[in-house]
Amino acid sequence: MTGKQRNTLWMVAGLSCASLTLAAVPAGYPTGYQATIDAASKEGKLVIYATTDLKLVQPLVNDFQALYPAVKIEYNDVNSTELYNRFISEVAANAGSADVLWSSAMDMQVKLANDGYAQAYDSPEMKNLPDWANWRKEVYGTTFEPITIVYNKRLVAANEVPQTHADFINLLKTNPTKYQGKVTTYDVEKSGAGFLFLSQDAKQNPGVWDLAKTLGERGVRLQSSTGTMLERISTGENLIGYNILGSYALARAQKDPQIGVVMPKDYTLVISRLAMIPKSAKHPNAARLWMDYLLSKRGQTLLSEKAELPSVRKDIEDEHGSAHLRAQLGSAIKPVAVGPGLLTYLDQAKRLAFLKQWREATVRK
Amino acid sequence: MRTAALSRGAVISLTALTVFTPIVLIFYQSLLNAPFFMPNTQLGLDAYRFVFDDPDFYQAFGNSLMIATGMLCIAVPMGGALAFLLARTDLPGKRWIELAVLVPVFISPMVLAFGYVVAAGPVGFFTVWLRPLLGETPWNVYSMTSIALIAGLTHVPHVFLYSSSALRNLGSDVEEAARISGANPLQVALNVSLPMVSPALLYSGVLVFFLGFEIFGLPLVLGDPEGHLVLATYLYKLTNKLGTPSYHLMAAVAVCIIAVTFPLVLLQRYLLKAASRFVTVKGKAARQKQLPLGPWKWLALALVLLWLWLTVLVPLSGIVLRAFVSYWGEGVNLLDTLTLAHFREIFEQPSLVRALINSVLIGVVGGALAVLAYTAIGLAGHRRQDALSKVIDYSVLVPRAVPGLLAGLAFLWVFLFVPGLSGLRDTMVSIWLAYTVVWLAYGMRLISSALLQVGPELEEAARVTGASESRTRRDVTLPLVRFGMLASWVLIFMIFEREYSTGVYLLTPGTEVIGALLVSLWAAGSIDQVAALSVINISLVAAGLAIALRFGVKLHD
Repeated sequence: MTGKQRNTLWMVAGLSCASLTLAAVPAGYPTGYQATIDAASKEGKLVIYATTDLKLVQPLVNDFQALYPAVKIEYNDVNSTELYNRFISEVAANAGSADVLWSSAMDMQVKLANDGYAQAYDSPEMKNLPDWANWRKEVYGTTFEPITIVYNKRLVAANEVPQTHADFINLLKTNPTKYQGKVTTYDVEKSGAGFLFLSQDAKQNPGVWDLAKTLGERGVRLQSSTGTMLERISTGENLIGYNILGSYALARAQKDPQIGVVMPKDYTLVISRLAMIPKSAKHPNAARLWMDYLLSKRGQTLLSEKAELPSVRKDIEDEHGSAHLRAQLGSAIKPVAVGPGLLTYLDQAKRLAFLKQWREATVRK
Repeated sequence: MRTAALSRGAVISLTALTVFTPIVLIFYQSLLNAPFFMPNTQLGLDAYRFVFDDPDFYQAFGNSLMIATGMLCIAVPMGGALAFLLARTDLPGKRWIELAVLVPVFISPMVLAFGYVVAAGPVGFFTVWLRPLLGETPWNVYSMTSIALIAGLTHVPHVFLYSSSALRNLGSDVEEAARISGANPLQVALNVSLPMVSPALLYSGVLVFFLGFEIFGLPLVLGDPEGHLVLATYLYKLTNKLGTPSYHLMAAVAVCIIAVTFPLVLLQRYLLKAASRFVTVKGKAARQKQLPLGPWKWLALALVLLWLWLTVLVPLSGIVLRAFVSYWGEGVNLLDTLTLAHFREIFEQPSLVRALINSVLIGVVGGALAVLAYTAIGLAGHRRQDALSKVIDYSVLVPRAVPGLLAGLAFLWVFLFVPGLSGLRDTMVSIWLAYTVVWLAYGMRLISSALLQVGPELEEAARVTGASESRTRRDVTLPLVRFGMLASWVLIFMIFEREYSTGVYLLTPGTEVIGALLVSLWAAGSIDQVAALSVINISLVAAGLAIALRFGVKLHD
């Protein structure tokens, strides 16, 4: 063996030592965790299907990659319908599919778990999460995203901005000409997310049906995408939007001075992106590493600072995270519990009845 | 002889297999009550019952009919007139107009529709500028009338392409004779040229009507918020209506769309029986001469420019503007919001950069391969009237009846459940195959019109002098359609660049294409990036087109 070759060998050994020290068991995790890390490194790969834009998640992916360089992430960003379709098709065909499903469609995620697609995982991070944020240790809530009222700051005067649901109805009723045809919300027949928000809203507050009637009287514009609603509110084509996913609105408000966001003081619904590890995962240990990382203080801090998705953890002080919002709004915060309650409206008859009620309430006069 | 017959059989059966596997899958799915791959699925007509009980279905059907009719009434006369002006007269600025005419072909309708919103929507910048002049805004881009009008205007190039290639291949001697006998240009156009190109016009009319039934992007962006449904957006709506995706309902609607479009296929087939009228490249030369328009030419030019302004300039300026501002709207000073950030963001993301590369590849390499495939299919059916040719004629037109989104999903199933294909799913091959099949009807029309222009006497001469069938193809037919193939390549390149719905389900790391990413970015609300990516996409296609023309590819001859 020549000197040069020996040097190279030492370098290789040094590098693998370095990667071992990097991939150390995080503080506070059980000692057995090293076995998971080793197994994950052997698996070498992690396939994620997610509804969150890779653009937002890239800092987390990079950071995870630095922690566990042996696990290569393949991140697929798709919408929630495609995610569900692809996953069940691939599992049925016994083809390779995701190791982690991470979707904002809470109902579809819980349905997958209910249909027996998920495996339970006892995450060491569980103690740091609110009780409502997991179901059977199969589905975990990873974010804390308020459902908000969004308005155009230039065209809606500060004293008009509604602070509660009652204010909102009142505003629409007392300014019929100004708001005619300029109110927007999700088309719940087309948008699964919109349906989820509205049905949870109706559970929380039976007064929603009065609100729906007022929306109908004002000729509400129905959209299937949050982005289109924000765009139209920003341009002034619409003035105010109801039940809009707050994380996207707040992210846009940072860049766009036209967008104002209100979290209603009487009650604010909060939804959460749900992550689960499928039974069919080909790289289950890598999936566990990602799940724990995503829920860890480190991952959640990046998520809230870089991806603008507020943290679900109780111990992170970000501006829109759970701890902060709770301090601000107290018991008005109503998180949507992860669990079988989300399955109600996946029953065809109940769902169609709900849609019919919504349609009749909002029909154009 | 034997090898020729064998390879012909192989081409035909492969085509039929690729076309009908997804269709059969969709038809079968429509008769079930759950995804076909689930364990406890039952046969039944529930899906159809649901659809036929739904008042939305009838509304969507009526709207589709209206849009298709509107498109027919707008696109055919205008496309025909445009073809006549550009092919036969001394209209000023023809070179530039010919290029601009193609622009609507390569911009995806979703992007186009979004461009109209930015430019001419209720607070669009044209609207805001013109409001002081006009008082109330006289138009509403979200109305059904506007959707039909825009759809009609943007389909003018489809008719133009077919009828201008028919016109260019007709000798102008008959028209000159009419002029000499004292007819004015309008009389020549109506009484001489029109009857000669009527098969091409009829054919493209049926095609446009047919496209009207599966139009998706335009009504999605413009019609949705007002509750105007068409069949394709109704199908899209059913995706989520029951909470979890309802394949059986989507498949049932797709079958209904096919039920409408299939009679149109039969009609096209009937019209093609008059195909011999297309034969114009004969063993003798036909001279072409331009018809002087005289003072009429300025009126004609003004009309053409008006159309270009409405269909190209308005939406395009909307998109470009949106790509360079961070926000806009009534009372916003656009100079304050100018930014290059959206473009910077795109180049910072590896997946978007990959999408740019893949899109160029699918257009250039994939387009070339698709043209070769179409030519092989075209030759297999060329000059034959047997049963197998009929199989081809019908099967090439069927895929266009299935909306791209569902066709993409069906292809995902094919790649998942057909043994041996699963390895290809994560590669560009899957995207290529789906695109090639979805655009089969369009591509075949390009190729077969090139093939039809070759007079049979040239091939017969070769056969009589002792050349085998395959030799005739190789040495006579192919060299004669060479330029037609090149032109088809350019047109397919443009179509593949703009295709958006088919790739959605086949999108994985490594198979990103701009079109599919636009849909997913749009859904996620990144309108900044949608606009910037569209501008990049349009520039790419324009560059490709410029290069092709620079190297002397002629799109119509």
